Amino acid sequence: MNTIDGSDRHVQTDSAPPPSLLAIVLDTNPHAWAHLSSSLSLSAALANILVFINAHLASGNANEVAVIASHSHKATFLYPTPTAPQPKARNGANGDVAMNGTDDSKGHHIAENPNKYRAFALVESAILKNFAKLLDETNESHLAATPTTLIGGAISLALTYISKSTMLHAPTAASAESMSLAALADSENAHVDRIPLTSRILIVSVSGDLANQYIPVMNSIFAAQRKKIPIDILKLAGDTVLLQQASDATGGVYMKPDRPEGLLQYLMMAFLPDATARASLVIPSAGGVDFRAACFCHRKVVDVGFVCSVCLSIFCSSNLPDNLCLTCGSYLSLRSALINPPALIPRKKKKKRKVGTDSATPGASTPAGSSTPMHP
Amino acid sequence: MSTAAASYRKQDGTVSVSADGKAVSWTSSSGAIPPLSIIIADIGNLQQTPATAAKASIKIVVPDSAPQPGSYTLQFTSSAARDDQQTITGLLRKWIEASKTQAAPTAAPTGTNGDGASAAIALAQTVAVAAKGSDDSYDDAKLLSDLELQMSLLNTNPSLRQRFDRALAEKPDTVSLGQFSNQFWTTRVHMLRSHVTEKTQATGTYNVLSVIKSKTVNGALTLSLTKEQIELLFRQHPIVQKAYNENVPQLNETDFWERFFHSRLMKKLKGERIREQDVLDPKLDKYLQYDEAIENSDQFIDSLPLFINIEGNEQNHSQKQGNRPDFTMTPSNYDKAPILRVLNRMSEKMLKDVPYSDGDRHAPVGVDEQTYKELQLRDLQRADDDNRVVLRVQDQSRFFSAGQSVQSSTSAATYTKRTPSQALAILHRDFEAISANQSKAAGVDLQTTLGINDDSSSDEENATSKIRKVGGKSSRSAATVQIVSAIKKRHLHDDDYSSSKAMPTSEQAKKLAISEAALDNLTITHNTTIEFLHYFWAVFHSGDSDRANEVAKLIETLDKSLDRIKAVADVAEADRSIQLDRYRKEVESYNQRSGKKRKFDPQNIKGGARAVNQVVEPLLRAINAARNQYAEALQEQMSQVSVGKGL
Repeated sequence: MNTIDGSDRHVQTDSAPPPSLLAIVLDTNPHAWAHLSSSLSLSAALANILVFINAHLASGNANEVAVIASHSHKATFLYPTPTAPQPKARNGANGDVAMNGTDDSKGHHIAENPNKYRAFALVESAILKNFAKLLDETNESHLAATPTTLIGGAISLALTYISKSTMLHAPTAASAESMSLAALADSENAHVDRIPLTSRILIVSVSGDLANQYIPVMNSIFAAQRKKIPIDILKLAGDTVLLQQASDATGGVYMKPDRPEGLLQYLMMAFLPDATARASLVIPSAGGVDFRAACFCHRKVVDVGFVCSVCLSIFCSSNLPDNLCLTCGSYLSLRSALINPPALIPRKKKKKRKVGTDSATPGASTPAGSSTPMHP
Repeated sequence: MSTAAASYRKQDGTVSVSADGKAVSWTSSSGAIPPLSIIIADIGNLQQTPATAAKASIKIVVPDSAPQPGSYTLQFTSSAARDDQQTITGLLRKWIEASKTQAAPTAAPTGTNGDGASAAIALAQTVAVAAKGSDDSYDDAKLLSDLELQMSLLNTNPSLRQRFDRALAEKPDTVSLGQFSNQFWTTRVHMLRSHVTEKTQATGTYNVLSVIKSKTVNGALTLSLTKEQIELLFRQHPIVQKAYNENVPQLNETDFWERFFHSRLMKKLKGERIREQDVLDPKLDKYLQYDEAIENSDQFIDSLPLFINIEGNEQNHSQKQGNRPDFTMTPSNYDKAPILRVLNRMSEKMLKDVPYSDGDRHAPVGVDEQTYKELQLRDLQRADDDNRVVLRVQDQSRFFSAGQSVQSSTSAATYTKRTPSQALAILHRDFEAISANQSKAAGVDLQTTLGINDDSSSDEENATSKIRKVGGKSSRSAATVQIVSAIKKRHLHDDDYSSSKAMPTSEQAKKLAISEAALDNLTITHNTTIEFLHYFWAVFHSGDSDRANEVAKLIETLDKSLDRIKAVADVAEADRSIQLDRYRKEVESYNQRSGKKRKFDPQNIKGGARAVNQVVEPLLRAINAARNQYAEALQEQMSQVSVGKGL
């Protein structure tokens, strides 16, 4: 048929890699950045990240970006600029968020620089403007209240944004069905499948003390795992416990730079490849992962803990008040979970006691004596 | 069911013999004593007071071998006590005799048609016994004591056998064979269980006609039929048996089968279409008109309750096609697709022969009361009680936010150097630097902000400022080094991971540059050592001072494991030194021949003890952890003992 009417009816296959959405969660904890200011100031870091964003946008025509600030009192979008819930002036949001997501129509004039690609300039000005706003909103009482940042909320925001963008990109179940029906009916016509979006989250973290957000962060990690969204971690400062698990569980990159001053190099080398490219690369995250969890009772990171059999809460000690789980209130006796103290001296009438045998047993230890706590 | 007023332990109540004769029970009228229930089959002796005595009572003796031994004396209290006694003893005698003649186990489940309290008790008991009986074969303790089963599992699983034998050979002498095998199997109960299940599975019947195929041998068509096949054929197709019975005396048996396999009957049974040119057979063709309905009359489908008969409900969809059955089952379509119908019928027949896995074979057919109640969709009914387990999750932030302040954490301590206002001021000042540019027409000049200056050399940089510059050359190269080293490390790990999955031993050995024999040796040593580590921790944490000697012996065994690993490493090292010698000679001869200088680098020869130790490193760590903890605990206890003696 192609030869008859001279038309090319082959199915259009796009050989380009699928568009990639990069959601950057920027930890803007003022405490930590003030602490870091001697080695790596926030402005320098922001400039580095802007260059990195430009590199990401440049590496694919349809690539998108979202930047979320995880501040000390709130988590908010830096880019795209969050729109207040009011009737939109322009109808027909076409999902082209990367290009015109900033509502520059509000009258804010973007400086036209002939030497700067306009798309880059848009992202840049939006991020700076929103960050300035965030900084102005922050007052001392916010800082005094907490030493850390709301990372859990920020990851949730990133996940919801990714989820929304993915839906805008991928054909829904209904449209897929109609499309396949149409394809069946008219199989000669080429139809263009919408290419799914590959997304990833990059967390630039400077705060420690994230164990108190153990539950929301863990939930986000599991959500990301389900959606196959890798979470990359760039840990400029602070302790590593929770976020390392996030990258490990989702197959992301974990980096704790020895020299934060080389930030751009880290960003470009380790974090620029998207999920499609990573399939053929060796990911630069090495070293053992700290899989320890934080206990629910004292927020301590525990080696060996006790888990409620009903609600899976983690406790660091076996002495619970009234033998009730602190979270769900169900009966939880942990006495039977304790391992017997070893008796190593034969035939002594006196019972030997040894304290602290329930400490971590590395290697292939499988305490056979421990069993699920049972209700008597 | 027969009841009578009787007292037991001076408490008034009623004695009753259940209708099915399985149990005799007594319930207190005041409820002071828990009800009593004795399984009749367990009764060893029954005594009654003579007819002349003032009191009418019976004594039931249950021997010690029964689940609930003891003797129970019941005294009849009604006005017609003597008569009651006669009836009850008569009944009991009858049932005891019946249960004794019946060689069947006592655990046989009873019918469910009983009513009243005693029947309920009897039912509960028998059900419990029956449930126990069916679970028994999967019980841990039973599996562990079943030597025959373990042997058969070892025989079917060579690698397990190897592991077992090896571990057995190396076990310390103090550990008895029984202890050892018990330990070995406790960690593998799941394997035993699956083996039992595997063994109890049997192949069911199959469609015989499709299996029997003629073969051409020496140009002649021959057909081989086994006895079992014929038997199965008769069972699956009674019509063939009928034909056989009626024709075989007259016909030769071989002739009969020959004719049958060419006949239209055979085609019909197979579900093939009968064509005009098919040979007619006056003897067998009359069976073509057999009545399928008779054959189908005992379909087990009838016993399905209608409301869970999905297929039936589907067909009974009034909006769709009324009560019309599926098209393969409607008479008009019989001849269009006979094969479908025949296959359907064959499947049904075969399924009918398979015993239910989830029910008792001898139980009455159909849905009993209990099942019916179970099947009722109670939870969908309006008046149903809510029996969900309510999980009351308390506010978790209570735990976390409590007491959280700037001072509470580790990194927060470093923040306290600045007051919040100072921190904020630093940030504001810093940010102004970048946003100041923005107000100009050019936007942020990223190049200057980044501070990357390719013209500057790192020496220069160090000279100008002691502070490491952001984006400076040294910072960037340090970052590169870190990432590249991480990539290299990861690369190594990834390879390890993939190799353990699919790569054969020879390839793995080549990669490690150690001989295959050495690697095999290492693998076996690893396996047995893990076995002993399991054993060690089990005994160590048992807290049983009687087993203290065992622990000591196991530590010795682990020491021996270390020796074994060292032996393998020595062999590998010896191999390597041979290779090293060869390589040195090669280099020397090359240098002599060509006159060029080639450097001899011993690093070029990989493998040896280092490779071995690298592989077993986690194992060594595990052994050492065990040894250290043992030594630590031992020392502590020793000191306690000496203190105790000193006092």
